[in-house]
Amino acid sequence: MKTAGRRDFIKNLARGALLAGIAGICGLLVARKNKYQCSGRCGTCKPVHGGTCPLESDAGFVWQIDPEKCTQCGRCATHCVLTPSAVKCFHSYSICGYCDLCGGYLRPDAKGRNTGAENQLCPTAALRRQFIENPYYQYTVDEKLCIGCGKCVKGCGMFGNGSLYLQVKHDLCVNCNECSIARACPSSAFRRVPASDPYLLKSSQERRIV
Amino acid sequence: MKNGKKSLGCFLLLTAGAGICFGMGSRAGLGQSFAYSVEDYRKVDPALIRYAEVEGLLPTIGKLSALAIAPDGKIYVGGENGVEVFPERTIRPLDGTPGCLAVDDDGTLFAGMQDHVEVFSRDGGKTVWPSPGEKAYLTSIAADDRYVYVADAGGRRVLRYSKSGGTPLEIGAKDEANGARGFYIPSPFFDLDIGTDGSLWVVNPGYHVLENYSPDGRLISSWGKGSFTIEGFIGCCNPANFALMPDGSFVTAEKGLPRVKIYNLDGSMRCVVAAPDQFDEGAVGLDVAADRQGRIYVLDPGRSRVRIFEEKK
Repeated sequence: MKTAGRRDFIKNLARGALLAGIAGICGLLVARKNKYQCSGRCGTCKPVHGGTCPLESDAGFVWQIDPEKCTQCGRCATHCVLTPSAVKCFHSYSICGYCDLCGGYLRPDAKGRNTGAENQLCPTAALRRQFIENPYYQYTVDEKLCIGCGKCVKGCGMFGNGSLYLQVKHDLCVNCNECSIARACPSSAFRRVPASDPYLLKSSQERRIV
Repeated sequence: MKNGKKSLGCFLLLTAGAGICFGMGSRAGLGQSFAYSVEDYRKVDPALIRYAEVEGLLPTIGKLSALAIAPDGKIYVGGENGVEVFPERTIRPLDGTPGCLAVDDDGTLFAGMQDHVEVFSRDGGKTVWPSPGEKAYLTSIAADDRYVYVADAGGRRVLRYSKSGGTPLEIGAKDEANGARGFYIPSPFFDLDIGTDGSLWVVNPGYHVLENYSPDGRLISSWGKGSFTIEGFIGCCNPANFALMPDGSFVTAEKGLPRVKIYNLDGSMRCVVAAPDQFDEGAVGLDVAADRQGRIYVLDPGRSRVRIFEEKK
């Protein structure tokens, strides 16, 4: 058996070092690409990337749900990187009928029209019902409890006026470059909108509230 | 030793692959736990469906919005800037799209535009009645030999005009002191019709009932209930439309979960004319009418046609 000489040993060492260097550079590039998640408003991209944002054309845009395309599949609740999801139910009061028999609040097999947990469609009781005057009831969304599952949205659209709808809340959203929910959305309801006007509201009257 | 390492490597590789596949599968199914299916409510017991669809009418005008059957059997279909009359297929042009239509014994056509009524006599004369108010949103109109009743969803009231117009009598206004709860109209679906006895039938859609009024505005009776079951009316404004059958029974059309049903005089459900799966998902604006033979006409704006249903033999 031939033993390797010093010259061969140095050659192998140099080759190894070269391969390790290439692998390291590739790794850094991949890591840098994955690490970069433009929020569009953080302001830290310029120092990190030497004054130029690699996604300059996409900067200043955020993710939002088009209510007309949303099919309330339930994935907004489960696919967001945040727990609970940054997607929340919005309520357009000017569209709401303030109904007693609310398809967004009550389960179809509800035993009664009251606030009993067994009658509520929302799995977290995030939709609140309050008597105003006969026969009107006001419905409000408790954002802390809402998980963005969209069950109420589906019920309201099916049986009511469609005043409930899902939106990405931008005080919660971390605005991932590649939104996890957008990738899973079966109806392509997620799209980029200008950060200066980040909501796709059903009624212009809601603009004042948001 | 070498074989052992290879086996361990293969095992780890297979385990990792299986883990990735399982993980991706679980992730894809995650949202399903919150999916809310209303498919069960679209299904109707076939035994309840006693009507079958026959060949319908295909109007040439677009944006169908209103349907009426005249006492002489002619069918009036309102749409974009006109009314098409069947079976002649003549088109009477209008300045706008009527939200509702009615024809009386004389052949006079009453067209409810958004905030006013336009009257077209048989000889072609046109009269425009003044708007009943700034908030007026007219959704239904009916005429007999004495009066013309107009449903004003914006004003939450029914207006009774004389045949020549003039100042209307207001019916159904909220008057809690005298026990009148008023009309509850969450969205602009507010229909009315005139019974064979000359009394007025009006939907109170928020309460899911049909109310019967005397011509002078006195509440006589009511029936109906809100329910997710087939016997009741679901949603915030149902029945969205209705018509009276020749025997005095009611044919109703609902929005949200589109379905057409017939109710007896006492308010009990008789049968289903058309189940939700016979309409496109999200179908709205289903206006209904019945002719003297008991055929049911359903205006389906989504399909741009008038669908006709006959009782099964």
